Amino acid sequence: MKQMIRLEVNGETHELAVDKDATLRDVLRDQIGLNGPKRGCDSGGCGCCTVHVDGRAVYSCLCYALSYDGASVLTADGLSTGADLHPIQQAFIDAGAVQCGYCTCGMMMSAKQLLDECPQPDEEQIRHGIAGNLCRCTGYVKIVDAVKLAAERLAK
Amino acid sequence: MALLNLKEFHSPRSLADARALLDANEDALVLSGGTFLHGLEARGLLSDVEALVDIRRIGLDAVEIDGAGLEIGATATFARLQAVPEVGTEAWLGALADALTYPPVQIRNTATFGGCVAAACPFFDIPTALLALDASVDTDGPDGGRSLSLSELFMGLFANTLDTGELITALFVPRPAGRVASAFLKLEGNANDLAIVNAAVRLSVDAGGVCTDARVALGGGVAESTLRIPSAETILLGAKLDEATLRAAGEAVADDISPMSDHRASAAYRSALAKVMTRRALERAVARLS
Repeated sequence: MKQMIRLEVNGETHELAVDKDATLRDVLRDQIGLNGPKRGCDSGGCGCCTVHVDGRAVYSCLCYALSYDGASVLTADGLSTGADLHPIQQAFIDAGAVQCGYCTCGMMMSAKQLLDECPQPDEEQIRHGIAGNLCRCTGYVKIVDAVKLAAERLAK
Repeated sequence: MALLNLKEFHSPRSLADARALLDANEDALVLSGGTFLHGLEARGLLSDVEALVDIRRIGLDAVEIDGAGLEIGATATFARLQAVPEVGTEAWLGALADALTYPPVQIRNTATFGGCVAAACPFFDIPTALLALDASVDTDGPDGGRSLSLSELFMGLFANTLDTGELITALFVPRPAGRVASAFLKLEGNANDLAIVNAAVRLSVDAGGVCTDARVALGGGVAESTLRIPSAETILLGAKLDEATLRAAGEAVADDISPMSDHRASAAYRSALAKVMTRRALERAVARLS
């Protein structure tokens, strides 16, 4: 039998009947229809399911949805609220940090947590900040460039 | 997911309510951060679990530091501890601060201290640091509460000594007297992997620089549990902590470990690296004493 939870996702409130063993990622993707959190390793190793819960980056594949009743969730889908992309999104495009794109939404959410706490990170801090996210295409150089670029633009 | 037989998911709001749920269903599993549970689940090891009791809303997430030591609520996250200023500045807590830098931010925001030690996983980092810091756990069970050292808690690979229905409510790290410093180091294959070997040490010295107390702990598959290394501690105790002593203490660890071979490393490699990692952790702690 399903249980009811309430989630605020990207500013909208959802009342949802969820399976007892459903993960937050399952609910965000399959019940709300968001594409930001991806299904990758399914075990907290790759980071492509990263979302923010109450302002903190988590692996949504490791979160039982029923544990997060009442939480406020931000996914990459909600980064941009108007016609313009969020500076982190625009920086990933401008720095050429996107190849296949599968890791990108998770990378951006980890980058956001880093820049929320540390607005002017050096390269080591950037690499540490995205250490929980794997990219199998880029070799990370352009992703690090993108986070630097985003930091510069957010400072202005 | 793969909790095919899950029938009940409880989110109690008090320890008394959690107690009642655990007493009523002795097969219920306690859920805290859940990051380790999912690893077991993904491997099909939890397919017979019928009830989960999520304890993160019963008020066990407080962190307090005073003259006696550091008390960590069972459901406090790693990130919560990192936000405690003393964890980053006090030399006696150096091993804990070191160990907290390794997990990625997503794990630090989710994983909890109670779950981390209850998992009894010899590849985890924070239990090795806590063992060197002489941490203990407080529990609540059907017959009341008790306090256990980590050595008493760890029974074997993924096995703890908690009774049916017993849960960890808090951890306590005692503040040692005198000149004390601790340190932790990890060798890993990549930035988001479990340890090949990890080492944590806590050293106390008198005014003359002679070691008056030494605790050395190793993890990362050097045995089926994270464990203390008495042979190294014996060499350090009563000695001046010079280069030769630290090297001798590192060499001695081979006597106390029985490393495993797996896809991360062979037993021989772990054995060789355990000596080096112990010496380097000792050097790091000694540097913090001055």
